[in-house]
Amino acid sequence: MAPRLKLSGIQRQALALYRGFLRTARLKSPEERQMIESVVSAEFRENAKSVDRRNFVYIEYLIRRGKRQLDQLKNPDITGLSTLRINKVSSTP
Amino acid sequence: MAAAALRPAILRHIRLLPTTVAPLAAAAAAGQPHAQALWLTRPMSSHDAQLTRDEVVDRVLDVLKSHPKVDPSKVTPDAHFEKDLGLDSLDTVEVVMAIEEEFKLEIPDLEADKIDSMQLAIEYIVNHPMAG
Repeated sequence: MAPRLKLSGIQRQALALYRGFLRTARLKSPEERQMIESVVSAEFRENAKSVDRRNFVYIEYLIRRGKRQLDQLKNPDITGLSTLRINKVSSTP
Repeated sequence: MAAAALRPAILRHIRLLPTTVAPLAAAAAAGQPHAQALWLTRPMSSHDAQLTRDEVVDRVLDVLKSHPKVDPSKVTPDAHFEKDLGLDSLDTVEVVMAIEEEFKLEIPDLEADKIDSMQLAIEYIVNHPMAG
């Protein structure tokens, strides 16, 4: 089981965060799940494209912010991710 | 007055007891104290028999073919997610999660990060005792 692309630590963190969001989305209703998945997927893809992969400080900030949002989403009373849109920061720091 | 109001409540309890408690008690007596918990976590599983390799291959193929970014004609049991199917690392996370869901199991991050091809995915499921 040798990993093909050698994932860096920070890449693994980002992928683990993405996985965490998808896992949490499964616990919501089908409509909420679909909404969360599309918002989260768009956010990760946008950042993967626009953020310089050497900008570790900013990427680490995004991961920390994502973890906070994921913790909020894990609360069963939270049904959506509207905060993601509102908080969306410009990708060029 | 009060007794009349109480009566249905009491009757309801008496009627509920046997149906809710009996299966649990039977399971516990049969040495399966977690029978109900297992049922709750794997509601779609019809039985716990080991899957055949062919069945695993077919279902993993189907999962991959239904991913929106994948060209179904390129999916083979030897396909590599990135090289052959053109998936990136985020797509791979999605695919592995879909495989988890299909087989009703949870793959830990450390293992999931290594699964980058059909072969590894099939191998993982075939060797997983809980795959259903």
